[in-house]
Amino acid sequence: MTDQNIFMAISAFLRSFLGPLLGNDLTDMVMYGAGLLGVIIFIFTNAVILVLMERKVAAFMQSRLGPNRVGPWGLLQTVADTLKLLVKEDYKPHKVDTWVWALGPALLFIPAIGAYAVIPFDYQAVPVDLNIGIFYFIAISSLSTLPFLMAGWGSNNKYSLIGGMRSVAQMISYEVPLIFSLIGVIMLVGSLQMSAIVEAQHRIWFVFLQPVAFVIYVIAATAETNRTPFDLVECEGEIIAGPFTEYSGMRWAMFFLAEYANLVAVSAIATTLFLGGWQPLPLPGALGDLMAFIPGWAWFAAKTYFMIFLFMWFRWTFPRFRVDQLMAFGWKVLIPLSLANILVTGVGIYLYRMAIGG
Amino acid sequence: MQGKGLLTGMWVTLKEFFRKKVTEEYPDVMPDLGDRFRGGTLKLKTSKCISCGICQNACPNGSIKLTSVRDENNKRKLSTYVHDAGLCLFCNLCIDACPVKCIDWTGEFAFSGYSREDLVFDCIDLAQKRGYDPVEVKEPPADGEKG
Repeated sequence: MTDQNIFMAISAFLRSFLGPLLGNDLTDMVMYGAGLLGVIIFIFTNAVILVLMERKVAAFMQSRLGPNRVGPWGLLQTVADTLKLLVKEDYKPHKVDTWVWALGPALLFIPAIGAYAVIPFDYQAVPVDLNIGIFYFIAISSLSTLPFLMAGWGSNNKYSLIGGMRSVAQMISYEVPLIFSLIGVIMLVGSLQMSAIVEAQHRIWFVFLQPVAFVIYVIAATAETNRTPFDLVECEGEIIAGPFTEYSGMRWAMFFLAEYANLVAVSAIATTLFLGGWQPLPLPGALGDLMAFIPGWAWFAAKTYFMIFLFMWFRWTFPRFRVDQLMAFGWKVLIPLSLANILVTGVGIYLYRMAIGG
Repeated sequence: MQGKGLLTGMWVTLKEFFRKKVTEEYPDVMPDLGDRFRGGTLKLKTSKCISCGICQNACPNGSIKLTSVRDENNKRKLSTYVHDAGLCLFCNLCIDACPVKCIDWTGEFAFSGYSREDLVFDCIDLAQKRGYDPVEVKEPPADGEKG
């Protein structure tokens, strides 16, 4: 792996430029600010790309062409949609609980951005490399339940409330197998730090050591991001649009932005924990050198987008679960399975240590 | 095995993902409506037409009006041939009835107009303009007998 990459170069350049001007402490703060700005740009760019990608994937899987009017190959479709949403009337329905209703979409965005603080985009390119990185991610991402409930309750609409309640039930239920599936990886690494987890996959990606955990993670992550087949929260056939029913214009767009931010976040975590993060494909010999020639951020982006495609593939293939099926599957299948995975991993680690005489 | 159906479904959608799309990009690409499509105006081969008037008689709506003149050999010669697409129900009876197969559909489907007159087509004129049958001199509609 190269010691120098584009993020480190930018960081070093900014530091050399700002250091003499501001002193060490202020420079550190400015650097965090730059990281935050980078993350926000990353989220917005991705949301724009992903809305188009989702529509294209949906269309292709349904034998259609999808957006093809605005720009070449429909590339500017999302830009046009965003402009439309921006200029729409900011409509507030009568009798909504104004503060709760208005804060819902804004607050939903906070955990979505916060989760990006610990994602390792490249070698040493983590906005904040916490020693409890994955724990922080889990903690912050479970906060997104609350804004959904706020939106559902504040809308003063029975469908919204049902959606909000479903969101709480679903997200809390699937949080448990999600976290349990990550524990297997954490046991193998022995650290919660994201950079350490990526480094540990230098020889073999954890998807090969923890296949069951990976499958559980993908299922639970689909439920966490409220995507089909677990999109009971929106579920337009039953409850219109769930908590989003009473929102329009930019407020509604905030929900979408947060949804896609969450999608990228869970895909990035899957990349980091199971697919080797920014590490290249571990191939032997010259092929491995060739793989290492591709920069880390490109590997990271490629793997993340593969995961995103997988989630979109699920969405446009599977029909929606019923609520009781969803709950039964979460509690009766995924949680026991993830617990068994932890047990097997523990026994495996013990046997391995016995074998190497450690 | 539990969950096998999920994989089957994903395989189906993946194949669909890479398959040729069925969307017709209509205004940019004209759709191929096939040989049996009936529509548009009548494509008339004036040199082949014997002015027998069977098409006019076969038409249930009276949308075809043709007149002819006798030439020096006392042979009928087409002088006017008008197809009123506004009255036409595209039943194909005229084309089936024609003994020399000199009429056919142009096959277009987007020829709407702002008035009823826009739907009345002079087929001899059209044939010359579009070059279905370049060798034809249109004669004035004299006091020729009807067909």
